[in-house]
Amino acid sequence: MRKKSNDRSSWPDFILIPLTLVISLILYAAPSRIPTGPHVSLLLPLITLFIWSVRTPTLTPPWLIFLTGVAQDLLSGGPMGVWALAYLVAFSIGRPRQIEGGIEFMTVLGRFLLVGAIALGVAALAGAAAVGAPTGITALITDGVLTIILFPVFAWVFARRKERTSFF
Amino acid sequence: MALFGPSKREGDDGVRFSRTFFIILIGISAALIAFDRPAHRAPMLSTFRAMFDDVATPALEIGAKPWRGLRNIGPWWKRQWELAQENRALHEELIELRAWRDLALTLRDRVQLYEEALNLQTPALGTRISAWTVAEQRGPFVRARLIGIGYEDGIREGYPVVNIYGLVGRTVDVGMTSSRVLMLTDLNSRVSVMADRSNARALLVGDNSDFPRLEYLGREPDLIEGDRIVSSGDDNVLPRGLPIGEAVRDRDGHWRVRLYSEAAPIDLVWVWPYEPTPAPEANPPVPLVSEDAGEAPSQGQAG
Repeated sequence: MRKKSNDRSSWPDFILIPLTLVISLILYAAPSRIPTGPHVSLLLPLITLFIWSVRTPTLTPPWLIFLTGVAQDLLSGGPMGVWALAYLVAFSIGRPRQIEGGIEFMTVLGRFLLVGAIALGVAALAGAAAVGAPTGITALITDGVLTIILFPVFAWVFARRKERTSFF
Repeated sequence: MALFGPSKREGDDGVRFSRTFFIILIGISAALIAFDRPAHRAPMLSTFRAMFDDVATPALEIGAKPWRGLRNIGPWWKRQWELAQENRALHEELIELRAWRDLALTLRDRVQLYEEALNLQTPALGTRISAWTVAEQRGPFVRARLIGIGYEDGIREGYPVVNIYGLVGRTVDVGMTSSRVLMLTDLNSRVSVMADRSNARALLVGDNSDFPRLEYLGREPDLIEGDRIVSSGDDNVLPRGLPIGEAVRDRDGHWRVRLYSEAAPIDLVWVWPYEPTPAPEANPPVPLVSEDAGEAPSQGQAG
C-alpha cells in the first residue's frame, strides 16, 4: 500500500514556483514610480515565497529562498546578501510547518506578519552594515505595511479553490 | 539529515529543512554583505553583477513595458484635453525657444573664438545615446536604475546620464547590453557642483532621500533659495554645466537640491559619452633642457 504523504506538491508546482518567483522579481524591479506621488515597493518576492512555503513546503527549500534573495539584491542594484540573509533568517524562524489540512486565515496572516517583520528588521540591519550608514527605516516600514495590507489578496488568488474555506 | 533538499522528520506532520544548510546559507549571505560593499566592490563582483544584469535585462524590458503603457491610461476626453493644452504650451515655448536658439548659436561661436584665442582644450561631449530604463530601485539601501544599453552601444563607466530636465546620475557596472545608473540621490553619489549665479562651489552628496545635500559650502555661502545648481566639473568626473536642480533649505536650515530630473518619470534617458581629462602621469618623460643645447633627449629615452 502506498504510504500516505502529507506533501501536497504536484508537477505543475515545479514550473509554477520558479515562474511566479521570476515574475514577482521582475515586477518588484520594474520602474513603476509616479513622479509626483510617493514611491513604495511591494515586496512581491516575499509574498510569493511565503505562499509557496505554505502550499508546498517541500518545494521551497533554503537554497531557493537564498537564490530569490540574491536575485532581488542583484536586480535592485543593492549590496548582495542583504535580502538573502533577511529571507533566510525570517523563514528559518517564522515559516509555517503545519501542512496537513487547512490553515486558518488568521494563522496565515499572523505567520506572514512574523516573517515580514523579521525580514524587514534583518534587512534594515544588514543594509546599514553593507552601506556603512543608517538606512531609511521609514521606506522599509512603508513597503512592509503595504505588503502586509495587500498580502490577503495574493493569498486568496493563490489559495487552492476547494480549500478556500480554510484558506490554504 | 539531508544537506541538500527538504527533509521530513518521522512522526512530524510538518516539513523541516536541514538546520545546518540554513546556517551555511546564512553564513554565505553574511560573507556577501561583507565583501560586496558598494564603496569598495571587488572587480570580480562588479563583473558578475554586470553579467547578471545582461541576462536579466530582456525580461525586465518586457516587465517595464506595461508600466510605461499604464501611465497613458485614463479617460479619453481627459487625455485629449491634456494633449491639446500641452500642444498649445509647446507651441508657445517653441516660439520663445527660437529666439534662444539664435542666441545660443551666437554665443557658441563667440565661445569658440575665445577658446581658440586662449588655446583652451575643453573636454568635448560626444553624441548622446538614448536608452530606456528597465528597472528601478529606490529602496533604503540603493537608488539605482538599470538601462537597456551597455558596452556594445558605446557606454563606459562614469558617463553622465540625463533626462529631458537634467542630470540623473552616472553609469556604473557596465555590462555588454545593460548598465547600472547610480542616481544622484544614492548614498554613494558625490558630485562637484556650483551655483550658476554666484559660482559658489559645493559637493552634492546623496543620502537616499529625494533631496541630496549640499556640503563643503563654506561658512557664508553665496547661495539663495532657487539658485540653479549645475555640475562644476571640478571633480573631473562629470562635465561642467550640466543642469542638476535648484537650491532649497530643509527644516534644519541645511542646503539641499531639488532635482530637475525628478520632475518627470525617468523612463527615457540619454547617456553622454564623456572622457574626463586624464590624470598626469606619476613620472612623465620630461624633456631635459640644458643651457647649451636647445633640446635634449627625454628621460624615457635617456640611457
